[in-house]
Formats: sequence, structure tokens, C-alpha cells
Amino acid sequence: MSLRDQFPILQRQVNGYPLVYLDNAATTQKPQVVLDAMNHYYAHSNANVHRAVHTLAGEATEGYEACRTKLKQRYNAERVIITSGTTEAINLVAHGWGRANLQKGDVVVLTEMEHHSDIVPWQMLAEERGVELRYVPVLSDFTLDMDVFSASLDGAKLVCVVHTSNVLGVRNPLEAIVEQSHAVGARVLIDAAQGVPHASIDFTDFGPDFMAFSAHKMCGPTGIGALLVTPSAFDEMQPFMGGGDMIETVTTTGSTYQSNEHKFEAGTPRIAEAIGWSAALDWMASFDLDAEHARLVDIAGWVAQQLRDMGMTVYGRHGPDDAAVVSFLHPTINSDDMAHLLDARGFAVRTGHHCAQPLLQRLGIPGTVRASFYIYNTRDEAEAFVAEMRDIVETFA
Amino acid sequence: MSFYPAALQELIDEFKEIDDKRERLEYLFELAEEVNEFPTSQWSDATRVRGCQSEAHVHIEVDQGLVHFQSGADAKMVQGMMGILTIALEGLAPAQALMIPPDFAEAMGLLNTLTPSRSNGFRNMFDKVMADIRQQVEG
Repeated sequence: MSLRDQFPILQRQVNGYPLVYLDNAATTQKPQVVLDAMNHYYAHSNANVHRAVHTLAGEATEGYEACRTKLKQRYNAERVIITSGTTEAINLVAHGWGRANLQKGDVVVLTEMEHHSDIVPWQMLAEERGVELRYVPVLSDFTLDMDVFSASLDGAKLVCVVHTSNVLGVRNPLEAIVEQSHAVGARVLIDAAQGVPHASIDFTDFGPDFMAFSAHKMCGPTGIGALLVTPSAFDEMQPFMGGGDMIETVTTTGSTYQSNEHKFEAGTPRIAEAIGWSAALDWMASFDLDAEHARLVDIAGWVAQQLRDMGMTVYGRHGPDDAAVVSFLHPTINSDDMAHLLDARGFAVRTGHHCAQPLLQRLGIPGTVRASFYIYNTRDEAEAFVAEMRDIVETFA
Repeated sequence: MSFYPAALQELIDEFKEIDDKRERLEYLFELAEEVNEFPTSQWSDATRVRGCQSEAHVHIEVDQGLVHFQSGADAKMVQGMMGILTIALEGLAPAQALMIPPDFAEAMGLLNTLTPSRSNGFRNMFDKVMADIRQQVEG
């Protein structure tokens, strides 16, 4: 069975045309093995985890914890907290680590390239605690101003940076950022939502203190993600959500907490989603991600050049480590009109500010049209997309 | 059964006859011509349609008991929806205008109008136009 044939949704038609799904930076499609794993769990093993002694509870617990084990192995991380996604993982750092370790006047360094999920939690904390936020600007070549970054580190306790921009596809110089941040004693949080889908990452070797990402951008289900944490940063965290699963003992006068990751996973966790994510991780391990990524970046670079030749402005550079994301604007055709016209022929793209308004403000534009490619996209689809774009421009410009 | 003014019902029937979404969009773009232009110099926070991904502005006046609707937007699709709304509302008594339900965009095969969301500025525009008419009538 071909790779594409494993994704049932790719067989469907949209508005009478074969679906060409190019909104992968928003979410990816799911292979049949992921759907089957989740269905099988609900049909055969559904139970709550970590408590009861019956067989189903054991199977559910094993399935849930297998996801954590696979994440630890895949990313070489000692501590993996399972969350609802990247946003909750970042909020967990803000509430669980930030509140316990940041005081008035401490500095948190962010970048203008961040997704709102890596800006708003820090703005909330800054308001509550009097923490100072410093933003590293984005230059005209779509890279971070590393001189300003270095200068911003004075007094920094935490540096938050996006692995790969969801708008530009640009992969940041993370190794230099981690090294310089640690040299001044600052912890580093990487928002890897757009990184893990295309990059092989060794968390321990790579060296940040926290790394947040979601399952659904790498062929797993929605509603689940993870926060990888180094042991020393983990020891500095305090739970911020209380309830079942995170406690050791509870009396009317107080409670004690679990010492492992469960301390940060209050309430019944996302069991079916964890089992689906496990299946996605196994499936992702069955092919050469680096080779697939090289193919996709090549396609994205080709599409970007074709669009430039049609008179469009493309925001991004499509280097070998960047994501296969093509953000663009036509000088006269409105983005939303473009997306509706593309949808009429089965092409799914995203428009708007992509939850990164500070970046768009820096670029001086309200939004872009974004086509993002993933492992099931083909060169033929890219060529069909370019042909459709040419037709739209010729008809409506 | 929804009540639509005759001109709007005619448009709905025309859209229903067009099978291809691209052709429906092209027809919608043509309807942008029907808009009573609302000059950008008069665009303000009070006229802005909130929650619309595009920049969209509407202005309602009830003059001698009849609705007058001016509008403007940067997206052709939104302009087309404004054109349809112009055909539907212009010159109606406010009480008649307020009886028009928003689901004609769905009946035309253009948009899901059930839920306001950031990808669906039409519903927000429709709700603002109706609220502005109500406000004019109630003073």
C-alpha cells in the first residue's frame, strides 16, 4: 500500500475535485493505523488509567504510558509531561515553572516570530509578577536579529523561542540560542510545534530545558501534546492544576503530590489520544523523515519560485532545515478571495495572521496565504497547485 | 420556510442553478458592483465589522422610513456578500429588513452561516447590519 493510500481522507473530493491538502502547518491528516488504534482502544480496552486493578484498566494504563515511553525514546528525554498540546505545555511552563521561579524585575526573552501561544502566557505572567519581557526582532531576511538577542540576555531568567516559524517556515539558530542563554544562566523553552513534524531532535543533546509540541501536527490526534523537561528544570516546577492522578495523599488539612510526571497531569488524561499518538510515532518511525523532509523543502522552494515569477511576494527562504511552508501575497488579489478560489478546486490552504500578529506587524502585512506541505504531498500536487494559482492570477488579477 | 424578499429569492434560485463553486464565486464577485460605496475616508471603529479576517465596513441609514445600506471591504468575496445584502435590504422598511434570516448565504452554497467564527465574517457583518437597523429604528 502506498503512503498516500494509508490516509483515507486523501481519497475524498472537495467541491467536485480531488482534495489537495496544503494546510499541514495547521494540522496534519491521520493514517489508518492511528484511526484503528483509537477505535480499538474504545472498542476493547476503554477504562480509566492508573487506579483500578481490573484487566481493562491495566490495558488502558499500559497504552497511555507507552506513549510517554515512546516520546522519551524518540526525543531522548528523561521527563515527558503529557498535555493537551503545545499551548497547554507552554502555559504549564509559565504557571508551573514561571510562577515558582520568576520575580519582579526578572527578564523573559521572546522573539517577534513567536506564535501567540508563546507570547500571551508570558504577557499574563508579566502582568501578574512584574516580569520584564524583551522581544528579539525579525530582520528583512526573515531571520532573528542575533545581535539584539545577545544584548537582551542581560538579566534573563528564561528564553522562549520558536523552533520553526509557522508563518515563514524559518528554522531558528537554536544551538546558538541555547548556548548563549545557558552561558548567562537562563533556562530555554523551545516551541517545537512546527519543528517535530520535520526535524529529528535529540532533546538531551540539543540542550534546551523545556520543549513543547503537539501530536496533531505529526499525524497524531488533536487534543494531545507534550512538554519535555530536563531533570533539573523539572525539580524547579510546581503543579498548578490540582485534582485526581497528581496526588499522593489528600487529607482535610492538605495534600502531597506525586513525584513523577503525573504531578502535572491532573484529571483523567487523554487516553485514546495517547494510544493514537503512539501509533503515529510508530508509523513515523517507519520511514526516513530526513529524506522526506528534503523532498518537501525542495517542492516548497520550487513552488515559492513559481509564485515569485507570477508577481507574488513570498515570505520565507526555504533552506534545507526550514519547514516546507510557503507564505505569500498577491499584489491585488485578496488572500481570502484566493483561498476561496483555491477551495473551489479542492486545494486547502490557510489565510490570515496565523496566530502570529507581532511577526506580521513587523513584516507590515495583515496576513498571508500559506501553503504547507507534508509527507503525503506529491510533486504532482505541487504542480497542480501552481497551475491553479496561474489560472486564478490570469483570471482575477 | 425562511422569508426572503423577491429580489433575494431570485438570487438564491440563480445561485442554486450553478453547480460549480468557482462559477458561484465568479458570480458573487460580479455582485460586488451592486454595493452602495461607503468611502474609505468614513471608515471608523464604529463602522468596522469585527471578527472579519478582511477589513469590512458597513453604514446604515433609515431615511423617510426606508433602509439605505452603504458598505466597503478589501476582499471581493465580502464585497459580493455586501452586494447581495444591498439587493436584499436597500429601500425596505426596517421591519421588513429585520425579518430576513442570515441563512441565504448557505442556501446559495456560498458559506456556512450558522456559527460566527474568525473565518466567517459574513455572519458578523449580517448581525452588525441588523443591529444597526434596530438601533436606528429604536433611536
